[in-house]
Amino acid sequence: MAQIPVQTIHRDPQLFYWILIPITVVMILTGILRHYATVLMATTPKKQELPAIREQRSLLRGINLRTNANAISPVSFQARKDYLVNAYEKGDFLKEPDKKGQAAPNPMTDPAAMEGMMGMMKGNMAMMIPQTLIMGWINAFFSGFVMIKLPFPLTIKFKSMLQAGVATRDMDPQWMSSISWYVLCIFGLQSVFNYLLGSDNAASQMAQQMGQMGPGAGAQMFGPGVDPDKQFQAEAENLSVLAQEYTLVGVEERLLETVRV
Amino acid sequence: MLTERELQINPIVQESVLHNTKTLTTLHNLTASLFGVGAGILGLESYLGFVFYLIFSLITSALVYAFRVRPGIVKEYFRSSIELWTGGLFEGLSGFVLTWTLFYGLVRA
Amino acid sequence: MSSSLSHPPAHLPPAVALQLSQQAPVTLRSTPSVISSYSFTTLWSAAETPELWTEYENLMLSCLRTGDEQSAGVCLERLTERFGAENERLMALRGLFQEAIAKDDATLKQVLEEYETILTKDPSNMPVSKRRIALLKTLGKTTEAITALNEFVDSSPTDAEAWAELADLYVTQGMYPQAIFALEEVLLITPYAWNIHARLGEVLFMAGSSGDTSTDKYLAEALRRFCRSIELCDDYLRGYYGLKLTTNKLLTSLPQASRQSKSDSGLPIPDIKTVERLNETATAKLSEIVRRSVSGESGWEGYENAEVIAAKALLDSGAAKSIR
Repeated sequence: MAQIPVQTIHRDPQLFYWILIPITVVMILTGILRHYATVLMATTPKKQELPAIREQRSLLRGINLRTNANAISPVSFQARKDYLVNAYEKGDFLKEPDKKGQAAPNPMTDPAAMEGMMGMMKGNMAMMIPQTLIMGWINAFFSGFVMIKLPFPLTIKFKSMLQAGVATRDMDPQWMSSISWYVLCIFGLQSVFNYLLGSDNAASQMAQQMGQMGPGAGAQMFGPGVDPDKQFQAEAENLSVLAQEYTLVGVEERLLETVRV
Repeated sequence: MLTERELQINPIVQESVLHNTKTLTTLHNLTASLFGVGAGILGLESYLGFVFYLIFSLITSALVYAFRVRPGIVKEYFRSSIELWTGGLFEGLSGFVLTWTLFYGLVRA
Repeated sequence: MSSSLSHPPAHLPPAVALQLSQQAPVTLRSTPSVISSYSFTTLWSAAETPELWTEYENLMLSCLRTGDEQSAGVCLERLTERFGAENERLMALRGLFQEAIAKDDATLKQVLEEYETILTKDPSNMPVSKRRIALLKTLGKTTEAITALNEFVDSSPTDAEAWAELADLYVTQGMYPQAIFALEEVLLITPYAWNIHARLGEVLFMAGSSGDTSTDKYLAEALRRFCRSIELCDDYLRGYYGLKLTTNKLLTSLPQASRQSKSDSGLPIPDIKTVERLNETATAKLSEIVRRSVSGESGWEGYENAEVIAAKALLDSGAAKSIR
């Protein structure tokens, strides 16, 4: 089989100055802008009423008891478990004890819930708007240019992705159009942002998407539309089936073994 | 890996582990970009470039291991030794590809 | 600013606090008095950091401790300028300032009334309700403070600080079981806090030495707590001190005690051999710590002087007894 000759395309070096570098710079600047926009838009957590605080923290107390049960003696654990399970089942810690058993209010009508959703919306907006804007900008000005060659070979499947806007049938899929340079920037600029803005920045879209997929524990636990009574019941169940293993069992032997005088 | 009970007897401070991983990730991210510059200027293609990246990031890890982590007690600094060796490998890869492509394109234009 | 100012907890040794407050006027002059949030100059000047305000807060506390009320007032003013007078934490800080400059109980009572008006308006103001409890304690109304704290932990049961304070108050009243309960709550929140383990051991020891019922059970539990605190923190002087005391006590009481208390729930009392070995270990470790810390060996400086002296006294008394 004859070796396919390596394709060479002569490109104007001006392409670099007028497309490649502008796209990269704009990407970096947008990332920084997004970071600061998120910082500025972050609303201070809304002040909560005392019963609401009590409800949340009582649930947290149950969770603490469950996770750290091994730190206290079985007797103390049993007493706490009995108390908490009983109180959870009766709904003693609820914000509105008389409302127990009713369905959770519609999150759309609850102003407190709306607040939380607005926060999420803002985060999404900060990501979506620049992305669409830049995509549009690149498509409007730079579509159809062959920019750069990837240094590693790819299969033909990538052709439609990498060479969007360049309708040349025989071109090697290694060649990239400006839009795919943009995609490469999205993934690759992570390290630049890490360097510029510190590691927990809001600039990188990757991190944002990860955050949305992963369980945002704090937000979801007390988020809108979650019935606290149900959470309490679930926690009561978790607690009552927990097998406790006291850490202090045999601690004196362990100590005698490890301590060297 | 430690069992749950051993972990409770000798707990690991979560914040410190987090800090270690964070520092290591930053290091890997930065060095990966620099390796990309190197590979691009050298004009490495396909497998050679990836092998270049692999070797150099392993060297980085080895340097960290030799100078920062006293040999033998990796467990006290990282949850497992695998984390130290391969932790930054995949996070750095995208940065590497970006700078590699950029400099390859610039040099070979 | 110096680095010791930026540590968030305000538990500085007295000497450091004194030094800080002596430098306070200089420090205050050298740091920016107010950082406006939007202006051209902020683009070039150093960025505002959260640490700056922590430093102000700590500086203020140090100044109050050493009686430099003027500098403390300046700190408070700057904090108020930045965060507004309605900030919860600032309300508490202002109250603290007023408490500190109060000359007599009447003024303190006035401050207390102010707290109460704030709290009736907004019962969820945690810092101010904590200040109120602290002020109640200062005024000597311990029972009232306990009641208030109980209400506080009922609405905020994940506050380790409040539970620890409650335990201390219970100990002053001699209500050991309640204090033990509160300390266990602290441990549920911070299960690896070795100082709390040791503190719980101390309270258990006190309970064991004062009460007449189930003494051995308390002592055994205290023994384990001290062991755990040492396990979590090597060469923990307080832990070894407690361990030595407890084992001493157990060694005197164990031989006479018939083993009838073994049957009830809880762990069995460790056998006398283990207790003896623990006692020996504690003695050896204590003398090592005392020796090394007195001679100022490197790596052994962190111990508090008073604690080392107490440990030395304990060792000496033990030695005297064994000679006799």
